[in-house]
Amino acid sequence: MKRISAWFDCCLKRPLAGAVGRWVPKWHGFARSGDAQTEELFRLAVEAAPNGIVMVDERGRIVLVNAETERLFGYTRDELLGRSVEILVPSRFGEIHPSHRAHYQHEPEARRMGAGRDLYGRRKDGSEFPVEIGLNPIQTRQGLRVMSVIVDITERKQAEEKFRLAVEASPNGVVMVNESGEIVLVNAETERLFGYDRSELLGKSVELLVPARFRGGHPSHRGHYHHAPQARRMGEGRDLYGRRKDGSEFPVEIGLNPIRMREGMFVLSVIIDISERKRSEESLAAQARELQRSNAELEQFAYVASHDLQEPLRMVASYTELLSQRYQGKLDEKADKYIWYAVDGARRMQVLVNDLLSYSRVGTQGKPLMPTDAGAVLDNVLVRLSKSIRETGANIERDALPQVLADEIQLGQVFQNLIGNAIKFRSERPPEIRVSARLEKEGWIFSVSDNGIGMDLKYADRIFQMFQRLHGMGEYSGSGIGLALVKKIVERHQGHVWVESEQGKGSTFSFVLLPATASLEDA
Amino acid sequence: MTQSIHVMLVEDNPADADLTRELLASGKLQMTFTLAHDGVHACELLRAGGVHGSPLLPDLILLDLNLPRMSGREVLAELKKDSLLKRIPVVMLTSSDAERDVAESYDLGANCYVTKPLDLNGFHAVVHAVENFWFSIVRLPPKS
Repeated sequence: MKRISAWFDCCLKRPLAGAVGRWVPKWHGFARSGDAQTEELFRLAVEAAPNGIVMVDERGRIVLVNAETERLFGYTRDELLGRSVEILVPSRFGEIHPSHRAHYQHEPEARRMGAGRDLYGRRKDGSEFPVEIGLNPIQTRQGLRVMSVIVDITERKQAEEKFRLAVEASPNGVVMVNESGEIVLVNAETERLFGYDRSELLGKSVELLVPARFRGGHPSHRGHYHHAPQARRMGEGRDLYGRRKDGSEFPVEIGLNPIRMREGMFVLSVIIDISERKRSEESLAAQARELQRSNAELEQFAYVASHDLQEPLRMVASYTELLSQRYQGKLDEKADKYIWYAVDGARRMQVLVNDLLSYSRVGTQGKPLMPTDAGAVLDNVLVRLSKSIRETGANIERDALPQVLADEIQLGQVFQNLIGNAIKFRSERPPEIRVSARLEKEGWIFSVSDNGIGMDLKYADRIFQMFQRLHGMGEYSGSGIGLALVKKIVERHQGHVWVESEQGKGSTFSFVLLPATASLEDA
Repeated sequence: MTQSIHVMLVEDNPADADLTRELLASGKLQMTFTLAHDGVHACELLRAGGVHGSPLLPDLILLDLNLPRMSGREVLAELKKDSLLKRIPVVMLTSSDAERDVAESYDLGANCYVTKPLDLNGFHAVVHAVENFWFSIVRLPPKS
């Protein structure tokens, strides 16, 4: 302690204005003996400093160390004082260090040691630790002394290493670019994605990774980003591509993050190769197109087949009928029966073909959906059904119906089939039929309720399939197309249809239609 | 009205032609038929009738739309351009109920458009309605 205090036989004089930068403080003798107190203060300050402080003379011999230096390097101060400072330098730098020192003495200034290089201290046990060293020249009566302030940066280095490892291990490409567009950092995934070694990228313009056709515009995009930096996706809505070393391209998604550092603003880009996603999107879209095409083809086929079948079938039906009209009772009984079978078969086939045609027409001959007055459509349907309404004594109640987005003719078919069914599948009581509509979130829900025979709900799905009937041929007429047609029409209107029913009590068929003000997703 | 009525039937399907003829013949009126089995044949017969004298021209033409060689549409257009033939009423009798066919036929000057019903009774009713309307109610153009 005594020896250290001996160094403070002088006082610090503040530099003159204008002499900053090349200022070398000089030690001057204390004018008065009362300054011994100040000296003690300095000694304590140096000793208590949280950084290692080492002072060397012109020959590189250690003339002062503090407690933190002892702690950092594992030497006692007795082991250090008078020794060459190279004792604290890893042996691999030991040889070059004296020449650095000589150079510093030539141009003494307060600065950091070895700017840009990684510095290490060497402990007594030979182990090393990363350091940052500030150099300060101090002119004393005995000559130039150099004071080194040593900071152990192990923790900072570890944090940096953690960051580096995290970036390195990222499954996405990470590229950091400075304000002038130079690449300052890349990770392993970036090397893999673009086929460059990182040594080929660092310091290069980031445009190297951009396809040639976008290169021209890229710097201005970068400039724009620097004006309004924010974490966001690059080129929202546009297709982005990366360019590999071999010139090939691949689709990417890029996230941009501005990072402000002392050295300026950097942009961290996170790059995801979306080739796989694009491929599966494309194959999905291709499948959807294919499905649409084959559906349309099937519909067209059903239309053409049923349309073209009608003509020859009309001949079969007409002539068997003519035969039965003209020759009934003129041949034998068997002949009459056979003719009747032929007539009946032809008639039923006509109904089927006709229904098939109506069914395929929903898609192929449908009109665009327009704002339609459902009430007026129902009026027309009731007129058409008036005969069977009268004959069965049906009572029909109705709400005021709204405007909906519909194909008027098809909506009429839906009402006609549902009300027709309500009349057809009546119980012994006269039919009580109610048509109502209520507005819900998904649209207008129309319901047609009856007090008819109802049905077991286990058949609820089957009744909407083509040519599915719950009853025998003789009991009720019809081919079983009515509800399939309803379902197809409602689905073409972007709605859906369902049934609630109880055997013996009645049924309620409901379907959803879009309000007239709705916009269509895709029609 | 003791004179026999002359109907020309333009129809490529002999079964259909026979059926129509059968139903017309079963009516009360005395009729003679000319059958043209396609559009070209129909035009030839009509022009020949025009040259050889009006008695050979029909009082009414029942014209199908879908015909080989020359469609019903084209036949209709030809007829309505001809100063002599355009007077003859033309009834389109076809299985098509497409709106476009109906509109086009009237545009070309068809006198009426009838879709053939699928079942015999319906067809019977239609044929008799046509017969009744054109030969009992309507006053036909003079044959001069």
